[in-house]
Amino acid sequence: MAKVIVDGHEIEIGDHERLNGIQAAERVGVNIPRYCWHPGLAVVASCRMCLVETGTLDAQTGKITMLPKLSPACQTPAKDGTVFVTNSDKVKQAHAQVEEGLLLRHPVDCPICDKAGECNLQDYHFEHGQKERRADVRPFSSRRREMGDTVTLFVDRCVMCTRCVRFTREIAGTSELMVTNRGSHEEIDVFPGYPLANKLSGNVVDLCPVGALGDKDFLYEQRVWFMKRHAGVCAGCSTGCSIWVEENQDHVYRLKPRENPHVNQWWMCDEGRYGFHYVHSDQRQTGLRKHDGKAGTNYVAIDWGVLDKELHASLSSAGRLGAVFSPYLTVEEAFLLAKYVRELDPEAELALGPVLTVGNDERFKSGFTIRAEKCPNRRGVESVIRHFAGSCLSFDDFLVRCESGAIGGAWVTGGYPQPAFDESVARRFAAVRTLIVQDLWATPLWERATFQVPGATFAEKEGSYVNHADRLQAFKWAVRPPAGAWAEGPLFWRLLGRPGLYHAGAAREELAAEITYFAVASGTIPPTGVDLKLNQLAGAVT
Amino acid sequence: MKVLTEEMVAAIRAYFPRYPTRQAVTLPALHVVNERLRSVPHQAVVEIAELLQLAPAEVQDTLSFYGFFKQDAPHGEQRAWVCRSISCALRGGEEVLDHMCHKLGIHPGQTTADGKLTLEFGECLGACDFAPCMLAGKTLYKDLTPAKADEFLASLG
Amino acid sequence: MAEFEPVLLANIDKPDSHTLRVYEAGGGYQALRKVLKELDPPKLIDLVKSSNLRGRGGAGFPTGLKWTFLPKDHPGPIYMCINADESEPGTFNNRILMEQDPHQVLEGIILSCYATRATTAYLYLRYEYPTALARLQAAIDECYAAGYLGQKILGGEFSLDIFIHRGAAAYICGEETGLIESLEGRRAWPRIKPPFPAVEGLFRKPTVVNNIETVACVTHIAARGAEWFKSIGVPADPKNPRDPGSYGPKLYCLSGHVNKPGCYEAPLGITCRELVDRHGGGVWKGRKAKAAIPGGISMGLFTEAEFDTPLDFAGPGKVGCLGLGTAAVVVLDETVSMVDFLHNSCRFFQHESCGQCTPCREGTRWALDMLERIKAGRGRLKDLDLLLEIGDSIGIIPGTTICGLADGAAWPIKNAIRKFKGEFEDYIKRTNPNGYQVTEAVPSMDRKVHPDSLMVIEPPWWHTAGAH
Repeated sequence: MAKVIVDGHEIEIGDHERLNGIQAAERVGVNIPRYCWHPGLAVVASCRMCLVETGTLDAQTGKITMLPKLSPACQTPAKDGTVFVTNSDKVKQAHAQVEEGLLLRHPVDCPICDKAGECNLQDYHFEHGQKERRADVRPFSSRRREMGDTVTLFVDRCVMCTRCVRFTREIAGTSELMVTNRGSHEEIDVFPGYPLANKLSGNVVDLCPVGALGDKDFLYEQRVWFMKRHAGVCAGCSTGCSIWVEENQDHVYRLKPRENPHVNQWWMCDEGRYGFHYVHSDQRQTGLRKHDGKAGTNYVAIDWGVLDKELHASLSSAGRLGAVFSPYLTVEEAFLLAKYVRELDPEAELALGPVLTVGNDERFKSGFTIRAEKCPNRRGVESVIRHFAGSCLSFDDFLVRCESGAIGGAWVTGGYPQPAFDESVARRFAAVRTLIVQDLWATPLWERATFQVPGATFAEKEGSYVNHADRLQAFKWAVRPPAGAWAEGPLFWRLLGRPGLYHAGAAREELAAEITYFAVASGTIPPTGVDLKLNQLAGAVT
Repeated sequence: MKVLTEEMVAAIRAYFPRYPTRQAVTLPALHVVNERLRSVPHQAVVEIAELLQLAPAEVQDTLSFYGFFKQDAPHGEQRAWVCRSISCALRGGEEVLDHMCHKLGIHPGQTTADGKLTLEFGECLGACDFAPCMLAGKTLYKDLTPAKADEFLASLG
Repeated sequence: MAEFEPVLLANIDKPDSHTLRVYEAGGGYQALRKVLKELDPPKLIDLVKSSNLRGRGGAGFPTGLKWTFLPKDHPGPIYMCINADESEPGTFNNRILMEQDPHQVLEGIILSCYATRATTAYLYLRYEYPTALARLQAAIDECYAAGYLGQKILGGEFSLDIFIHRGAAAYICGEETGLIESLEGRRAWPRIKPPFPAVEGLFRKPTVVNNIETVACVTHIAARGAEWFKSIGVPADPKNPRDPGSYGPKLYCLSGHVNKPGCYEAPLGITCRELVDRHGGGVWKGRKAKAAIPGGISMGLFTEAEFDTPLDFAGPGKVGCLGLGTAAVVVLDETVSMVDFLHNSCRFFQHESCGQCTPCREGTRWALDMLERIKAGRGRLKDLDLLLEIGDSIGIIPGTTICGLADGAAWPIKNAIRKFKGEFEDYIKRTNPNGYQVTEAVPSMDRKVHPDSLMVIEPPWWHTAGAH
């Protein structure tokens, strides 16, 4: 163990830990200001904002010797006996001077800048800045320059931290961004004809400590102080990046990556980041409907309150039951649906919904990978099905079963970002007399359903997903589904006759006790998830 | 339309054995092109990047740092740097530069209309023993005066 | 006082002094032969270390000591970079050495590489020295032909290649790690230290960076020994065990308002007054001196009253200058306006600042903007306080920047304003009688802004023709 002192407070650091001054200070609750340092990128120590006093404590004599000059905390390792002082007059003056330097030629753009409210320049000015403005530069507004399809640059707001350039070189490996010119004329730019076009491009906006880089998707959409953010998991692929879902009044405005050293470090891909707009598509189906039973495609609205009786009546007399489990269902939802269907028919056939695979896994320079399997929870859903049925039917096999007339009543769950059941699929359900389609979109299958049950998206669900590496991550809903749609979890909870409001945690406790694969998923799930493989040390896996 | 001739490519490749990385050949490559084209156009940057297995932005990053390589148009047949650092400034260097600029009707950094001369200010040319001085091509012009500058301009034709 | 017998400039008056024939005729490469036969690399390092040779590039760091920072038993390769980027205003001694006695330099490089076990040396040569380029390349070719370079030099196990790498007019490439970054093909942004170049330098291998004049001294130390070297110059202060002294001959560049600008060799420790009067023929045009730069513009200013300060490594610091630097003395006569001087200095540093760290990038720009305003007659007395604050805060010495360019930018500001405060105040009051007190948001440099908004539609003049 190493003893490190920050502002007089002693902390112990593990022998295996490699921390710098900023990280050591965080342990004591001190936030050393910084622009250029980021834990995921190489240390450049160029912004000079994190300057602190450093010294060493002599273990024998107890004497502390401080260096006469300031050092950047980001490049100072916290070793045994290292002393950091972040609150002396010398340090405060240095912080104020660097902050002043950055504000000298900074455009007066706060009122029109997206970053206001989450801007390091703003925050550090209040916390560490000079008391009066001494610069003699006439106010101006920033020039703007497009970096690519996803990112725009407000050139004059840039503080030259170079995080964005380092990201494209070290993480994405595509090196589109560069610094041009020298000295105070430096600007960020792309080479003409080679725009910022890698699939991780949106991360540079997260990295930018000021409002220089902007998300074209989010630009001018919402002020950050109106948004609440909720810990979530991206539903774009089986990587399962931890994210923040940021919303205001049930409208999602932005997704941002959430730090998870086991899954996505600090990053997420553009497809996941910008691929949430379908949550608020006006094509989403709302309003529970039942086919009127006559020839044609007429539906009548029914009340959610009577659904359980209606379904019980229909499905009990439907013969063999089958259920299609979408890989967009949470583990808990899959579990509850399986329970429900198997209660009605203990031999109900359980199948996995279609799994969309696009191309190959795409690995970037740092190791970050966008996976070809474009759904968040195939592993989790499959494991639930296997537990109940011993094996998991593929969607194709299920369709064959339906066509052969073996299935009398089928529950098909969707929830895919795009309509997933076209006419060629819908046709194969012709022999299924009672068809329940729980989905977001009016697909050809939806148009053949006996019951049209509007479902919910990842942002509206509470539960957990299991990613490609058997990591289970739990999340709560960020926004409520549109009026007239129910999230799958609360509906299944209701159909099973469970009392009270839906509680994914309780469902998870149940399934963790029942299914070996999920055994370690009981209790509170840490924010970065839990590795289900921990259980495999014990023996056989389902 | 390729901008780098075979000769230029060969000249650049000749530097490869000197360094363990291709990136280190960036500055020599820029000079190879600049000496022949009197500029390093963007297309040349793309071709250099390909040769050196770098992204064009990486080469452009380095190129633009120096403020030395013209890109939009070639510099003049002659490029003259008039020093403006302290030793030359103390002995009238700025006045000589001013004089030449006025005579030619251009600012430092610009090229005369007939394309014969690009006039630049230079920072200490390391010839303070002959201040004020000017470097034009490979020739160092020493102890410049407005009259000597006029002689130089006249010699350009 | 006996006339000092030139060491470094001993050859330059000989016709064809730059050729191998003339160099060898004068005893050249004998030191190399002797060392390769009699000393192993560690012994050569010891020899240079015991001479207390200090780097001539500006920092004055003991050369032999720097060489000992290389890791022992490193599998290699080890690199040597020769810093021939000489760009410090007022300095031209490297140019003279390279143009007129390149073999003296090359012998020193070969010896230094032998000592440090470097197998490749890159000579980073500034673009503006075309004659030096031609002479050095010719000399290198002669060396290869004569067996002083290449594989198995003089029949021994030591092999060395020297390559000239040409710069592109950036002062910061003279900074040790700026040079390394430039050589590696990137923008010349100096690296943070640690790691130091001796551990992780060029191409992340152990590297030593030495100045041209420094390696030329190595040639003579190898030829005549450490005791000889220490017989010249200023001995170490006996009261200060950390003082390495100021030993050896030094090339002093003298320019500005003197009758005979030129490069003069003298033992370290000559005073500014001696240099100006004895070698420089005194101040020109019969005028009096007002001030002098002691060692390249980064070092600040002597007032005329301080001209008796010895120009050794310790002297200039005693009168508030940054140090000896490159020992390039530039004399300013009594007609020079200190405002003009400081404007020239601030303009230089703003132009050359690499821009990676905030205090230097913004500080040098702010200082220039203020000097522009002051010079144009729109200065405020408050500006002097701001300039001093910038000067006192930026630099590697207080720890606020990555490299010493900021210290070089700061020292002329501090020295000029503190040592000539009255002149600055008078100038401001005289040229800005209405605004020299405290004014609100004095308009700075004009930018072309859109008439209907404050959107900048055209970058200011210095983006195109002027300051870049």
